[in-house]
Amino acid sequence: MRKAFSRCLVEAAQADDRVLLLTGDHGYALFDEFRQACPGQYLNAGVAEQNMVGVAAGLAKAGFRPVVYGLSAFVPIRVLEQIKMDVCYEQLPVVFIGDGAGVVYSSLGSSHQCTEDVAALRAVPHLSLLSPADDLEMTACMRLALSAAGPVYLRMGKADLGRVHERPPAVQWGELCSVRPGAGRLAWIATGSMVPPALAAAKRWPGSAVWSAPTLKPLLSEGISAICRRHEVIVVLEEHSIYGGLGSAVAEIACTEAPCWVCRVGITDRFSQFCGSYEYLLREHQLDLESIASQVEDFLRRVSDSRRGLTPAA
Amino acid sequence: MTKFESSQLRRTILRMAHAGATVHIGCAFSLVEILAVLYRNHLRLGAAGPDAPERDYLVLSKGHGVMAQYACLYELGWLKDDDLDHYFGDGTRLKGLSDAHVPGLEVSSGSLGHGLSVGVGLALAAKRTGSGQRCFAVVGDGEINEGAIWEALLFASHWQLSNLVLIVDANGFQAMGSTGEVMDLGSIAAKLSAFGLETREVDGHDEAALDAAFTELTHLPGSRPRALVAHTVKGQGVSFMARDNRWHYTRLDSNTYAAALAELRN
Repeated sequence: MRKAFSRCLVEAAQADDRVLLLTGDHGYALFDEFRQACPGQYLNAGVAEQNMVGVAAGLAKAGFRPVVYGLSAFVPIRVLEQIKMDVCYEQLPVVFIGDGAGVVYSSLGSSHQCTEDVAALRAVPHLSLLSPADDLEMTACMRLALSAAGPVYLRMGKADLGRVHERPPAVQWGELCSVRPGAGRLAWIATGSMVPPALAAAKRWPGSAVWSAPTLKPLLSEGISAICRRHEVIVVLEEHSIYGGLGSAVAEIACTEAPCWVCRVGITDRFSQFCGSYEYLLREHQLDLESIASQVEDFLRRVSDSRRGLTPAA
Repeated sequence: MTKFESSQLRRTILRMAHAGATVHIGCAFSLVEILAVLYRNHLRLGAAGPDAPERDYLVLSKGHGVMAQYACLYELGWLKDDDLDHYFGDGTRLKGLSDAHVPGLEVSSGSLGHGLSVGVGLALAAKRTGSGQRCFAVVGDGEINEGAIWEALLFASHWQLSNLVLIVDANGFQAMGSTGEVMDLGSIAAKLSAFGLETREVDGHDEAALDAAFTELTHLPGSRPRALVAHTVKGQGVSFMARDNRWHYTRLDSNTYAAALAELRN
């Protein structure tokens, strides 16, 4: 996925010299190709992210197309106010890349992990949000981002999980991409790194439909509410807090357009306690395959109990 | 009438402040001569109005002084009597802090420390395109408590933005007290020099001295960004406002309005 990202960026910069890459002294190896192909369009802004975003705003006002790269713990979290006031308030075409989203930097601790970016950014007007699941979605998302008239945040999480699509999907603003069709009781909606585990976990419930959400905002209510009407339970999976992310966005649409059961699986309002491998961190946050399946089983049990009037579903 | 005459600009500020019952009069008054000299003699605004693509940029990072810039925009005819007399009225467009949605204002800088970085980006863009545009960015001495200001200065020096002129409106006060009491800055000029800026100091109410300083700074050879520390008086122009930090927050009543106007007529 990182190769696809780099290739899209190089192609865009070669085609349009207004495209500038700004990095806050991050992106080791990732930008080798870019620096070789377009050295004049590469700006290392130093370890000074607030200024980097303001500079990007000034460049965009003067007609350039800045792409601002950082770790998602810093871009957008450290510079949320600059994103809001310098860029989004004026609807400037700046693309923000938040790399390593979720718990990718599993051994570095909470300073480098980011499970709150989508929640923070969904509430900022004019900003669009992308979260590709594989290299094919990445290519499509970069095209959307680089041709957008306003600001875009692209969330790049764990990037080496393999393909979820067999052929290039049609990624359109606001719409989900079908990964596996199904007419069963459950529909799964996942984004980014959680699409592969969604596909794997869904096999335990034959007939499950699985969708990927490469665009998190806008998220059109028509597509979500149609899924809500076709299935009894929607399971939403994300490597992000269950507060304010994709699960919340789906629940917001479901509860107003097509009420159904929405099981939100993600980071449960906690920081990582220990360090270790990425796989370990997923287990710690109960986002490994077994934990996901047991959370869904629990949820389905509570749905059944609730239906029989035994206990309210929590 | 001479355009951008300082007493006239201060009367316009008072007219707005009275109409809108607004605060930040002292913040605007310290800035008047700086903006007057820039608009009168140095800013190349272009022919096509506020958005002329070839314009020099005046970035008011110190958004709290925005009434001084509104007064200049009124002189240019970009703001009308109606804008002044209905300041802060329901559904009006002029806010109490700098806002880029207003034609003639380049940045939205109510949150301090933002505008300079945007100005640095504008200066960098002009360098890259070779347009010859300059960026004059005004910050307050209170505002430079913000870390982002110093990030921007590092960047401006590193990228050799000689078309950037930073102006510090050093009026010696910030919201809750003197800069010495709140966050002692020591020598601002020494700090700016240490950050690689070609720095001068001037009496920020002496228009001839300001004019000469801007002329020198914009004609200096070399690749360093430029800075002017303008030593000013918060509330300058009205005896009972000068150096009285209550006029950061005090609103005019009919008596103080009349008394202030009377001083500015002399």
